[in-house]
Amino acid sequence: MKSVIETEHLSKWYGNVLGLSDVSLQIEPGITGILGPNGAGKSTFLKLISGQIKPNIGTSAIKGERIWNNYRLFSNIGFCPEQDAFYEDLTGWQFMTGLLRLFHFSPSERESRAREALEIVELMEDKDRIIKSYSRGMRQRLKVAQAIAHDPEIIILDEPLNGLDPLGRRKIIRLIKTYKSEGRTIIVSSHVLPEIEAMTKRIILIHQGKIFAQGDIHYIRDLIEAHPHIVSVKCSDPRQLASKFIQEDFVLNVNFSSAEDTLLVETNNRDKFFSLLPPLIVKHNIEVEEITSPDDNLQAVFDYLVGK
Amino acid sequence: MGRKSSKLKVFFLISILPVVIALIIKVNQFLSDRTPIQGIFIFNNMSVVIYLQFLILLLALFYGTSVCSEEVEGKTLTYLTTRPVSKSALLVGKYAAYTSLAIIMTSIGVILSFLILNLDDLLNFSLYKTLLRDVVVLSLGLMCYTAFFTFIGTIMKKSILFGLIFSFGWENVIQYFPGSTQRFAIVHYLKSLLPVPKTGRFSFLMVRLEPSSPLFAVFMIFLITGVFLGLACILFSWKEYIFED
Repeated sequence: MKSVIETEHLSKWYGNVLGLSDVSLQIEPGITGILGPNGAGKSTFLKLISGQIKPNIGTSAIKGERIWNNYRLFSNIGFCPEQDAFYEDLTGWQFMTGLLRLFHFSPSERESRAREALEIVELMEDKDRIIKSYSRGMRQRLKVAQAIAHDPEIIILDEPLNGLDPLGRRKIIRLIKTYKSEGRTIIVSSHVLPEIEAMTKRIILIHQGKIFAQGDIHYIRDLIEAHPHIVSVKCSDPRQLASKFIQEDFVLNVNFSSAEDTLLVETNNRDKFFSLLPPLIVKHNIEVEEITSPDDNLQAVFDYLVGK
Repeated sequence: MGRKSSKLKVFFLISILPVVIALIIKVNQFLSDRTPIQGIFIFNNMSVVIYLQFLILLLALFYGTSVCSEEVEGKTLTYLTTRPVSKSALLVGKYAAYTSLAIIMTSIGVILSFLILNLDDLLNFSLYKTLLRDVVVLSLGLMCYTAFFTFIGTIMKKSILFGLIFSFGWENVIQYFPGSTQRFAIVHYLKSLLPVPKTGRFSFLMVRLEPSSPLFAVFMIFLITGVFLGLACILFSWKEYIFED
């Protein structure tokens, strides 16, 4: 797939403070999650690829065109900033139509696009209230609305789920996934691992201004083979299965859940484990109800990568 | 994007202040036994002392520096710079909006002051030429000063402090310097468009003026406006604004 956003040796300093260091990557259509703790450089990266700031070293381009000071690109880019900043004395409707005016839409198109975006984020009922009176969640949804109102191909969302209630989060996640299915490019940052995990498996891990890892969660897992991996097998005879696995050199530890119906196997070689599991199940006629990887989530990978 | 801030209300009230002064003067004239000073004479002095040397500077300073700084300080610049509009167009658009607002606010005050002070001579249509001239000169002043302060606002964080020093230091001192030095003050060109009063209580404010020709003065006002607005556009386009946490 052809990449939409490309960066080469992208670096940014704020005085003596390093914001981002030597980031070279390509982002393809679909959802890409930017993950890292606060201050890792996620926002700096998003500001660089949305033309908010210029790099000290390196280049960034969208569809081959430089980003910094290239305003024409923005007819196809939607950006939801992290900061909770608004024109507080405007109503939600005025805010939306005012920003859409800068896209040179006709008055009727401005209104229809504003209405559509506000309906998507469920703010239509509150459109005539001044933003100052909005709750944190409403403000967050309004930020998302202004990023999607002009129907952009590329959507950059900096911590879009901050301040949203669980229902609001679920709706925004669903919206992001809808955009993915339409072939758009969505870049989402978060410091909350399950948020990113709920949206995508394609992630970029950033820490201290550097990319720690990127790719599919499983690819990243492969990168850190030495890191123990836990597989949970809920089955009819976990003790028998454990006795078979314990003999293998790639199995470091076996354990049982409190209900004693689930076997927890700690392995340093996932592939070997999963190639051995099916023959054992068949040979010993064990009924398997569920196989899961409790630590096959971003938290485990991230903790390992940052050396916690 | 507009801002319906309390700042607007404050500045509107300030711009109306001369109207209150005009009212007090007029009421005092009605109640006093002394021969009243001509309304047009008071109006001319009010135009120079209150509007030209104080009010338009204040309005231009706060609106001009706000063009850029309020977006940066309010962290709303992101919404504007992620639209398919050049940064120069954004800056010029906001400058034009703020200048127009300041001109309207000032004009309302000037017209009301004029009408109040000349209440007993409203049918003397020759006086309206003075009103028109003063409104035009003050509008040119607002246009020029706002452009200058827009430029200052794009390069400086403490632009208000610098602006106050410039407005009430530089502009108020340099204009009284003899010779060509006074041409380094914007107010010199604005005053060159006004007649020099020969007599009167406030004539000392004009006596040192060595006016430029009206045509040259207008040219210089537009040139200064163009240069500073152009510089502001260049700076605003290429400078990156990093929000403070």
